[in-house]
Amino acid sequence: MSFNTKDVVLKEDRPKTLLLQKHSDYLAGYGLNKDDYEYCMTEHIRMSGIYWSLTAMELMDQTSRMPKSEIIEFITSCQDTESGGISASIGHDPHMLYTLSAVQVLAMYDRMDAVDVDGIVRFVTSLQQPDGSFFGDKWGEVDTRFSFCAVMCLSLLQKLEAINVNKAVDFVLSCMNFDGGFGSKPGSESHAGLIYCCVGTLSICKRMDALHADELAWWLCERQLPSGGLNGRPEKLPDLCYSWWVMSSLSMLNRIHWVDKNSLEEFILACQDAETGGFSDRPGDIPDPFHTLFGLAGLSLLGNSSIKLVNPTYCMPQETIDRLKLEPQVLHV
Amino acid sequence: MHGRVKVRTTEEEKARKEKEKQEKLKVFKHAMQKIWDKRKKEELDLELMELTGKVLTSNPDIYTLWNIRREILNIFRKDMESEGQQLVDLYDAELRLTEYCLKINPKSYCAWHQREWVLTTRSNPDWKTELALCNKYLKFDERNFHTWDYRRFVISQCKPSLKEEFDYTTEKLLDNFSNYSAWHYRSKILVDLHPDLEAGRPIEDEHHKHELKMVESAAFTDPDDTSAWFYQRWLLGAVKTTVDLVVCTISPLKTTVAFNEPVSKDYVQMTTNLLINDVSVNGEWLPCEGKKYNNVWIFKHNEIIGDNFDIKVEYNRENVDKLTILCIQKNSLYIGRNNISFQRKYSEPVIKELKKQLDSCRQLLTMEPDNKWTLLTTTFLLHCINAKHYHNEVIDILKTLQIKDKMHAGYYGDLITKWSIELQLEDDYRNEELELKVKFAEKISSLPHLHYYSFCENVNLFNQNLTSRVLSTLSVLQHCKKLSLENNNLTTLKGFPSLNLEELNLRGNKDLDMKEVEIFKQQNNYNVIF
Ligand SMILES: [Zn+2]
Repeated sequence: MSFNTKDVVLKEDRPKTLLLQKHSDYLAGYGLNKDDYEYCMTEHIRMSGIYWSLTAMELMDQTSRMPKSEIIEFITSCQDTESGGISASIGHDPHMLYTLSAVQVLAMYDRMDAVDVDGIVRFVTSLQQPDGSFFGDKWGEVDTRFSFCAVMCLSLLQKLEAINVNKAVDFVLSCMNFDGGFGSKPGSESHAGLIYCCVGTLSICKRMDALHADELAWWLCERQLPSGGLNGRPEKLPDLCYSWWVMSSLSMLNRIHWVDKNSLEEFILACQDAETGGFSDRPGDIPDPFHTLFGLAGLSLLGNSSIKLVNPTYCMPQETIDRLKLEPQVLHV
Repeated sequence: MHGRVKVRTTEEEKARKEKEKQEKLKVFKHAMQKIWDKRKKEELDLELMELTGKVLTSNPDIYTLWNIRREILNIFRKDMESEGQQLVDLYDAELRLTEYCLKINPKSYCAWHQREWVLTTRSNPDWKTELALCNKYLKFDERNFHTWDYRRFVISQCKPSLKEEFDYTTEKLLDNFSNYSAWHYRSKILVDLHPDLEAGRPIEDEHHKHELKMVESAAFTDPDDTSAWFYQRWLLGAVKTTVDLVVCTISPLKTTVAFNEPVSKDYVQMTTNLLINDVSVNGEWLPCEGKKYNNVWIFKHNEIIGDNFDIKVEYNRENVDKLTILCIQKNSLYIGRNNISFQRKYSEPVIKELKKQLDSCRQLLTMEPDNKWTLLTTTFLLHCINAKHYHNEVIDILKTLQIKDKMHAGYYGDLITKWSIELQLEDDYRNEELELKVKFAEKISSLPHLHYYSFCENVNLFNQNLTSRVLSTLSVLQHCKKLSLENNNLTTLKGFPSLNLEELNLRGNKDLDMKEVEIFKQQNNYNVIF
C-alpha cells in the first residue's frame, strides 16, 4: 500500500518500556522551583496543571507525592466569592475551565467541603444560554468545551439537574457535522478534542443514541497513521494527546478495537523522555504534565495493567467515578 | 506545549539561555505585579492598557489580561455619550493588538475572541476588512479552524449570499483538493443552498450528482488523499431516513415494540396503540434500556393474553397513513412484523452517477489493485447500488482489506457483521423466522440491529467472535428464554443485563473466570451452562 501522509518515523533507540518511576519523579519535581521559567509562564493555566499532574499520579498510584494540603488550600483561595467560579490561579478571573479542574481535583481527594459548592453550581448555571450553550465566563465566548465542563462539573457535584440538560444536549447536537464529528460551535469543523467533549457530554447526559456512531467511529479510527500515532484532523501530524481524545471517544462508542492497539502503544511509549521522565506531544519534543497525563491515560485505555483503570468520560481514575456512583453511558453495539 | 523540539546544547549554552530566561522572567513578574496592584486599586486607565498590552504581545493566552482590557474599554464606553474619536482609536488599537498576537500564535482562543468582542461591541464595524483578513489568513494557513470559525462569524454578521461562500469553497478546493476544512464548510452550505424539498432528501438531485462528480475528480487525482473520500461517504449517506416501527411482540408476560431508531416515550405514546379484540388497551410505556431514547419499549398493561385473540398494533405517524400491524400467534407469542429494508434509495440520476463511478473504481483497481481507498470506495459503491446483489463481492473485498489494511481490521470485521446481518434480517422477516441463529459463514463480532430480533425466544450465537463489550446490548432480548453464547471470546460477565432467561449457555469461553461465573449463577435463577 502506498502512503504519503504526514507522519513521523519512530527511531530504533526510542523508549520501548514504560518508565513509571521516571514519570512520577518528573511530576513530583515539577513546580518545586517556583522560579522556574516554564512554571511561571503557565500560571494562567495552573489549576488545570494541578489536575493533569494529580490525575497522572493517581493513575500511577503515587498520589502521596503531591502536596495535598497545599493544593486544597490553593483551590479554596482561587474561588471567587461573588460569582462562585474558580480561577486558574490567585489574582486571575474565574472561568469554567478551571472551575472544572478544581472540582475534578477535589473529587479525587474527596474534599468537596473545601469550596462553596452552591457557589460553583450558581456559577455554572449562570453561564447557560437560551440556546442551551455555555459561556466560558461572563465575557461570552461560546464553545462545546464549556458545555462539557458544565455537565461534568455538575455531575461530579451530583447537581446535573441544576441546568437544562435537554437544551444542553440539543446545542451539542447542533454542532454535529457531515462526518459525524463535532466542532467548537455550530458550523465548526470536526476535531478529535472537541469530539471528545461532545461525546463526553452525551455520555454524561445519557444521550449517546443521538450519535451517528459508525460514521463517527470510522472517522476517529482513520486518525491513526502508519507510525501508530493518532492525529486530530485529516492530513495533520500525530500528537500524543490525541491518543486520549480519540481513544476515549472510541471507548465511549464501544469501538476501541477499530484502532491498532500495538502500534499505538509503541507510539505512546516513544513519546517518553527517558532522561527527565514525562511524555511530550511527539517523540523527541520537550515533555510537559499535560501530555504526561494523556500518555498514561491512553495506555490505561489500551489495557496496560501497571496503570490504574481510567474512566474514558471523566479522564479520572475509575475508582473515583465508582465512589461517586456515576455511570456515564457507553454505547451498545 | 506543542512542537517544541528538545535540542542538545553545551553546558555553556545552557547557562546562557537560563540567564536569558531569568531576565525575561524578572521583567514579566514585575509587569504582572504592577498589573495586579493597579487592578486592586481600581486604576483602570490607559497605563494599565499599556501594561497589559505589553505582556499580551508575548503571552496572548493570559485570559485575565484580556478581561482587564475589556473592563477598561467598557469604562471608556460608558463615560462617553457617543463613540468619540478616542474610543474609536482605542478599538482600532485593540484590533491591531489582536492581529499582532495572532501573528505570534494564530491559534490563540483569547486573541480571536477579543477581536470578535471588539467588533460586536463597537458601532459601525467594518466587516469587509474582516472578511479580507480571513481571506489573507486562510491563504497563509488553509486549515486553521480558528480562522474558519472567525470567517463564519463574520459571514453571520455581513450576510453575503450563500452562493458566494459556496463558490469560495470551490475556489479553495480547486486550489488544493486535500483541504478538508473547505469540504467541511461546503457540506454545511450545500444543504442550505440546495435542499431537496420535494422528495425530502437532504440534497437536490442535480447538485447531489454534481458533488459526486467533484469528488470523483478530486479523489481519483490522488486516491491516497483522504479528504474527498470522507465527503463522498457523506454524499452516499445522504438519503431519506424515517423512523419506523419494526416489530411488536405480545406474550402473556410482556408486550414490547421495537423501532428502527431510538425514540422517546412521548413519541411511542403519541404514535403507537395496542388493540386487543378491537379494544384499545391502556397502559404505560417503559424504556427497555433505561434511557430517554430507546429502540425497544415495554408496554405495561393489565390485560390477560389468551389463545386466538385478535391483536393489532396501530402506528400513527405525522403526515403518513396509519399503519395497522396484525400480530399473529406463534405458540404463546403474538408477533407483528413490519416490512423492512436496509437498501439505500437514491434518485435515478444519482444511481446512474454511482454506477459510472463504480466503473472508474474498477478501472483504477486494475492499475493499482492494492489501493485501500479505491477498494473501500468500491465496496461502498457496490453496497449502495445494490447491497443484496453485490453482497458476496463486498464481503470478499472487505476480507482483502482486513489483510491489506491491518490497522483497521476491527472496523472491517464489524462492517462485514453489520452488512451480513442486514441481509439476513430481510430474509428472516420475509420468512417469518422465529429464532435468531447466524446463517452466514463469517463470524460476527458485534450485535448490530439486535432489537429487530427482540421477539425471539431462542437466540443462538454459538461459535462467533463476540467479546464482553457486546453484553449490555443483549438487554433488548426481552422475550428470550434460551440464549447461547457458546464458543465466543467472553472475558467477563460484567454488563450482562437482567433477562428472564430459562437457559444461558456460556461453554467454550475459555477466558471466563470460573469464580465469576459461580457468583453469576447464584445471582440469577436460570440455568447457566458453563
Ligand atoms: Zn498534544
